[in-house]
Amino acid sequence: MTKETMKEQESGLLDWFSSRLNLTEIFSLLTSYGIFHAELDNRKKIREAIAEAKAQPMPSYDQWPRVLGLLAVVLLLIEIVTGALLAFYYLPTPQTARASIATILRDVDFGWFVHQIHFWGAQLLLAVSIVRVIRFLIRGVYRKPRELMWIFGVLLLLVCFHSDLTGRALQMTGTSYWSSVRALELVGSIPIYGSLMLFLLGGGETVITELTLIRFYLLHVALLPFGAITLIYLHFSGVRRLGQTESGTQAPPTRGGPVIRSHLLNQAILFTVLFGILVSLAVLAPVPLGDAADPYATVPGVGPPWYLLAPFGFLELTAGFLPTWVGGTILFLAFTAFVLLPFLPGFRGESKGWLLKFLVVAALLTVWIFLTIYGARVV
Amino acid sequence: MRQTRQGLPLAGLICALLALAAAPASAQETCGTCHPENRVSFDESIHAVESVTCSDCHGGDPVSREVEAAHSGKFRSLSNRREVPEMCGSCHSELERMRAYNLPVDQYAIYLTSQHGRAVAGGETRAAICTDCHGVHDIRRPRDPSSSANERNIPATCGQCHGDETLMQEFDLDPDVVTDYRSSIHGRLLLEEGSSAAPNCTSCHGVHGATPPGVGDVDKVCGACHEQTRKAFLAGPHYRGMIDAEIPECASCHSNHAIKRFGIERVESLCAECHGEDSDQAILGHKIHTLIEVASEAVAGAEELVHRADQAALEVEDPLSRVEEAKTYLTEALPVVHTVSQEPVEQLTRRAQSIAEEVEHELYSKLDRSVAHFGLVLFWFYLLLTIAILVILKKKLQSEAEAP
Repeated sequence: MTKETMKEQESGLLDWFSSRLNLTEIFSLLTSYGIFHAELDNRKKIREAIAEAKAQPMPSYDQWPRVLGLLAVVLLLIEIVTGALLAFYYLPTPQTARASIATILRDVDFGWFVHQIHFWGAQLLLAVSIVRVIRFLIRGVYRKPRELMWIFGVLLLLVCFHSDLTGRALQMTGTSYWSSVRALELVGSIPIYGSLMLFLLGGGETVITELTLIRFYLLHVALLPFGAITLIYLHFSGVRRLGQTESGTQAPPTRGGPVIRSHLLNQAILFTVLFGILVSLAVLAPVPLGDAADPYATVPGVGPPWYLLAPFGFLELTAGFLPTWVGGTILFLAFTAFVLLPFLPGFRGESKGWLLKFLVVAALLTVWIFLTIYGARVV
Repeated sequence: MRQTRQGLPLAGLICALLALAAAPASAQETCGTCHPENRVSFDESIHAVESVTCSDCHGGDPVSREVEAAHSGKFRSLSNRREVPEMCGSCHSELERMRAYNLPVDQYAIYLTSQHGRAVAGGETRAAICTDCHGVHDIRRPRDPSSSANERNIPATCGQCHGDETLMQEFDLDPDVVTDYRSSIHGRLLLEEGSSAAPNCTSCHGVHGATPPGVGDVDKVCGACHEQTRKAFLAGPHYRGMIDAEIPECASCHSNHAIKRFGIERVESLCAECHGEDSDQAILGHKIHTLIEVASEAVAGAEELVHRADQAALEVEDPLSRVEEAKTYLTEALPVVHTVSQEPVEQLTRRAQSIAEEVEHELYSKLDRSVAHFGLVLFWFYLLLTIAILVILKKKLQSEAEAP
């Protein structure tokens, strides 16, 4: 290569970087999270790779149903950014936690806004994850070859629950404190696993101490977000491999042309609306700061977080005739069965009748809702 | 028996030494051989701890194992109740003996002045003597929670007699006093909430000198705790008027044993009860009630607002302390009501109210979200504009794609 051609190639900033880094590989990360629609050839230079991808037909998995996964990605990004901003001021000890949140809300410029966006983003993320799992259940996204996608989806939901739970506890307000204690008690009801988890989370006690709080903090800011990013990456990887089609047998329909720009515009519209909803919620329905937690004064009427009300209700319902550890075991087995649904005998085979599927989903939801209502009543 | 007496001197000595080592003072006493229940009961008492022996009260020969010899000499069974106070007083009036325990020595003298003491002296043996309240053999320190003379057990102890309907009828006394007391604010504080600040029977009637306070003394008894209330009461016209009319001061409005927590709203009907519905006094009562009610509402409103501000993470330390100040004025106003004049009450309520209004005004402007709401409207305007542009771009893109 002559000196002349080297100069020509390095004319633009993009080229400058491109000759030093594998930009294509970095850019293809976007693809991994569904932002960009097509797979890129990592061996090619970025301009070339994008031009090639643009020419490719748009795969079917970029259609409308994917919006839930995309929303999860964007909400997760929002949570990470706002969470990082909050972490600049948050002090994770029982004595300082609430005061530092008060500082964020009161004294830090736009602190209240970041705090509220973080809260409402988390609630939306939870909602999106739940709707996703319900959609998977209805559309049969657990049958061969999509077993893993189901497991990733359910695990992502689990990660979201854990993030919400730890995030609540970090506030150290009366309600959040007792809500976390209830949740820890629930975890403690599961034999072996429960006592192990309790030991890992706070030295085996169902109260929030310095140790519990710092562990919750570590989970909340490092381990759980990493888990969520990994699960979403794995999920999209599966989607790219298998396509979005529900049955998994028919060939995915494809579209070509300038669909990519249309796809990006759709995303822009979606994100704008999402941003608008988040900001509106933050301004119109700000979460209150809450009273300081007092470990010696139980706040009456505080149960576990709403998504744990069903298992809580189950334990309360069976408390009369089952020892707690039996109830805990049943809960644990039921949840394990739910995660491993694709491998259960009845769900492995080919698509069942529409009505049957609907009935199964409706029955599961009914049991869940009934237990949730019961749990909320006995709190 | 005889063998024991004639036994080997050495063995006897060893036994005696062992017994001496185990329980020095009372072990030689043989009273418990025939009176085991009394012995067991006595061993629970503070007297057993302080090495008081059976013979200290009963006389006789405590080491004798012969029934007659044991009950000989200056033995007294103390079955005559009239003997008991004097017997107890023989030690408890002795300054030298009681000094080390820091116990008063005038209890017996005071007892003699009490209704109980006078009745006993007059031959009425059913009136309370020392052992009725303190226990017979198992006398404990009053601060011992299991003592019948402990402050929380006193209502029950007095109630043994004063709750006995047939007994009280004979003395023309009200048998409901104990039930009334238990239902009162004082009784509930003491018995249910365990507050040692709450009075028991003896706090008002005296301990050993138990006597009901008469007209002219009631305000002094109540005023021992309710100092500010008494001060206001003495400053007002009711004090003289009630004494002249021989109406018991505090008790006329508040009753004596069944004292309830008094809502300020009672003032309305209370004034009219004595002075008549349309009297000036009833109107004054209404005015005072209104003053306190309005100020209380203002303070409660300010407090609620402070809580809201705290939840919205506003700085509330200053408004909070001002609300506390306002509440203090309100608390001060309640005893001042006993002056039954508008001026001093109004001074306090006006202060409380103006503080509350200031705090409310200040916090309302801070809690006002209208700027944020206006911002939100503006935000949505630009957001919709952005969406519109994006939609137009998309439409354009689609028409380009459809065009050949």
